[in-house]
Amino acid sequence: MGDMANEIKLLSGNSHPVLASLVADRLGIELAKTLSLNYSNQETSVTIGESVRDEDVFILQSTAPGDINDGLMELLIMIHACRTASARRITAILPNFPYARQDKKDKSRAPISAKLIANMLQTAGCNHVITMDLHASQIQGFFNVPVDNLYAEPSVLRWIRENRGTEDVVIVSPDAGGAKRATAIADRLDRGFALIHKERPRPNVVGRMVLVGDVVGKVAILVDDMADTCGTLAKAAKTVKDHGAAEVIAIVTHGILSGDAINILNESCLSQIVVTNTVPLSDKVERCSKLRVIDVSPTLAEAIRRTHNGESVSFLFNHAPA
Amino acid sequence: MVRNIVILGGNSHPVLTENICNILGLPVSNRTLSKFSVGETRCEIKDSVRGKDVFIIQSGGGSVNDHLMELCIMISACKIGSAKRVTAVLPLFPYSRQPDLPYNKAGAPLSKPPMEVPKDKYTFESVPATPAPGIVKSASFNKDTDLARALSRTSLTNGNGQAPVNGTPRSNGESSTSSDPPPNIMPLPARPGLTAMHTQSFTTHDLQNPALINTFQAKPGYKRWVAQAGTLVADLLTCAGADHVVALDLHDPQYQGFFDIPMDNLYGRPLLQRYIQQNIPDFRDAVIVSPDAGGAKRATAIADSLGMDFALIHKERRPTRITDRQNATMMLVGNVANRVCILIDDLVDTANTITRAAKLLRKERATVVYALITHGVFSGDAIQRINLSAIDKIVVTNSVPQDNHRRACPKLDVLDVSPIFAEAIRRIHHGESISVLFQYD
Repeated sequence: MGDMANEIKLLSGNSHPVLASLVADRLGIELAKTLSLNYSNQETSVTIGESVRDEDVFILQSTAPGDINDGLMELLIMIHACRTASARRITAILPNFPYARQDKKDKSRAPISAKLIANMLQTAGCNHVITMDLHASQIQGFFNVPVDNLYAEPSVLRWIRENRGTEDVVIVSPDAGGAKRATAIADRLDRGFALIHKERPRPNVVGRMVLVGDVVGKVAILVDDMADTCGTLAKAAKTVKDHGAAEVIAIVTHGILSGDAINILNESCLSQIVVTNTVPLSDKVERCSKLRVIDVSPTLAEAIRRTHNGESVSFLFNHAPA
Repeated sequence: MVRNIVILGGNSHPVLTENICNILGLPVSNRTLSKFSVGETRCEIKDSVRGKDVFIIQSGGGSVNDHLMELCIMISACKIGSAKRVTAVLPLFPYSRQPDLPYNKAGAPLSKPPMEVPKDKYTFESVPATPAPGIVKSASFNKDTDLARALSRTSLTNGNGQAPVNGTPRSNGESSTSSDPPPNIMPLPARPGLTAMHTQSFTTHDLQNPALINTFQAKPGYKRWVAQAGTLVADLLTCAGADHVVALDLHDPQYQGFFDIPMDNLYGRPLLQRYIQQNIPDFRDAVIVSPDAGGAKRATAIADSLGMDFALIHKERRPTRITDRQNATMMLVGNVANRVCILIDDLVDTANTITRAAKLLRKERATVVYALITHGVFSGDAIQRINLSAIDKIVVTNSVPQDNHRRACPKLDVLDVSPIFAEAIRRIHHGESISVLFQYD
C-alpha cells in the first residue's frame, strides 16, 4: 500500500454523526476533521480541517426529522467544498434519501423534488451516490452518476431469524405498493404472505383496510420501507390483529417517526417496531419501549470499502456483513 | 395591468411580494408552500403557469436553507409545469457574503483558536505549518512564544492574501480578552442521542458543546478553511431551472459572473441617496463614511453624486499602541469633527462593524451618526447592540422583513424596495431595458 493519496476520507454531516462514527470504526479510520455550524444569520458554514486532495471522499448525511433542508444544504456545501479542494471522487452516502416520496408529478404543477435533489447533488459535484432502500428504486434513474441502492433486507432477515425465529410467522405488506418488498422477505423465509388493501375514497383520507390472506394465530410481521407519522402502520396493525393474528410486529427500514409517531406507536397494538439506524433516532428509543434498532453500519462500511477498492457491491444485496 | 405573467412568493417575505403585486396591479398567484411532518418542503402551484412568464420572489433572510430549498422547488415545479420563463427574484441573495474566513471581517468571529497549542502534537511526519495564528505549530516554533503572540496580534494576511483563518481577536476590540465562547455562534440545536464524544477527533457532532468549537483544529500542516457556498448557490438556482435572476446590491459585484444565465443586480443606492437628500438636514455639510475599506467604492459613489465629503474607517489596522483597547484596530481616515456622519454599507448582520464604527466616529467628535444600509439582516443580538450604540438613526430597506426589528429598535427607519423590484419585473417581462434603474440622478 505504497500509494499514500487516494485513501478513504469519511466526512460526516451534522444529521447522523452516530452512524458516521459506527461506519468509521468499522472501517478502522477516523472521521475527517470538519466543522459545520450555522452562523447567527442561519447560513451554514462548513470548515474543512484536513486535505482531501486526490482522496476518495465519502460524505455521510442522513435526514434528521425537522432538519431536512439544513442537512441538505450542509451536504451540498460539503460536496462542493471537497470538489473545489480537488478530491478525486466524491461519494454522497444518503442512508435515507431526502424527498424520496416526492418522486412523481402526481398533481398538476407538483414538483418532482427527488429529481431536483438528484440534480442538486450532481451540480454540487457528487460523483457517486450510496443509499439504502429507496422509496422507489426508479429514483436511481434521476441521476446521471452511479447510484448504489443497498438493501436492509439481509439485515432484517438476520434480525428475524435471530430474534423471532420463523415459526408461525406471516409477512404482511401494509399497502399494495410495498408488496414486492414484503414478498421478497416472505420468499427468503419461506413463509406465508398477506397484503392489506387500502380503500382511498378521497385523497389524504385513509378509508377501510381490507386484509388479503390468512394471519389467524400467527405472528404477523408488517414490512415497509419507511415509517413516518405511523398512522397507516398503526391502522394496519389493528386490521391484522382484528383478523386474528396472535401478535403483530413491524419491521421498517427508515424509522423517521416524526410528529406524534411515538405516541401512536405506544398506543398501537404493535408489540414491537423494528427500525434500522439509517435515520437518527435520538431519544425515541427511551420514549418507546417497543422500539428495536438494527445496525446497518456494517453494510454501509462494507459498501464504502468495496466502492473504494473497486470491488462488486452486489454481494451486499443478499448478505449482511457480520 | 400586465398579462401572461405569474408572480409567486416564497414564505420568506410575503409582504414584499404583496407590495410588488399591488404596484403591478396583479394578484399574487396561489401556491401551497408548507412542510411535511418530517421537515421536507411541500410545494404545489395552484394556478396554471403553462406558457407564462413566472417571477418567484424569495428573500434570503430567516431560515436561509429552508427558503433556498423552497425557492429551488418552486422554480423546478414551474419548470415542470411548462412555464415559459422562470425568474428568481432574490431581494437579499443568500450566501452572498462569501466569507472565506469565519465571519470575523464583518464582526462575527466564529471561533478563537486555542491559546495554548499542544506541544506534544509534533511527530516525525509533522510538516511546518504555514505561520498564522491558531495553526498548530511545530515544536521548535512553539517555544518562541513572543513571536507567536506577535503574529497573532498583527498578522493580517499571509502569502496567499487570506487573513488568518482562525480569526484571532485581532479585529474585534470588544472580545479580545477572555476565553468566553464567541458571541455570535449559534450552535446547531443539540441533537439528543449524540452521546459519543470523541475528544480526539473533532467532527461536526461535537458542536453541541460550544467550548469544543474553540478547540477544533485542523490536521497539522493543513490550514483550515471555510467552504464558500457562493458558486454553489448560483449553480443550484440554475440547476433548479431558473432562466434569469434578479438581486439587489450584491455584496460582491463579481457574483454576477458565477451565473451562466442573465443576472440583474439592482441598486439600492437611489433609495439611500433620496433618503439623504430628503431627511438629513444640511446633508451637504455631512460626511459619508465607509465602515470598512471594502465598501469604500459604494460609499464614494454616493458622496460623489451628492457632492459630499468622504471619510473611511480602516478596521483591520495593525495596532501601534495598545493603550486604547476598544478601537486599537480601527483608524479613521478623514475629518468628522463637529459634523454629521452617514455610514454607508450594503449589509448589516450582527451589527458589530457598524456599531464599532459609530463608536469611533463619536469619539472623533461627530455630532450625529446615521447608518444607511441596504440589507438589514440583524441576526443574533444585533438590535440590542444598535440600541446601545452611538448610532442615532439606522436606515435599511425591506429586502428582508423588518417588522419585528422595527418594533425592537426605535432608531430604525425602513425604506420600501418594492417599487424597484416591481419596475424591474415589469421591464424584464416586456423586454425593456432595465439599465435606467441603474441611473440615479
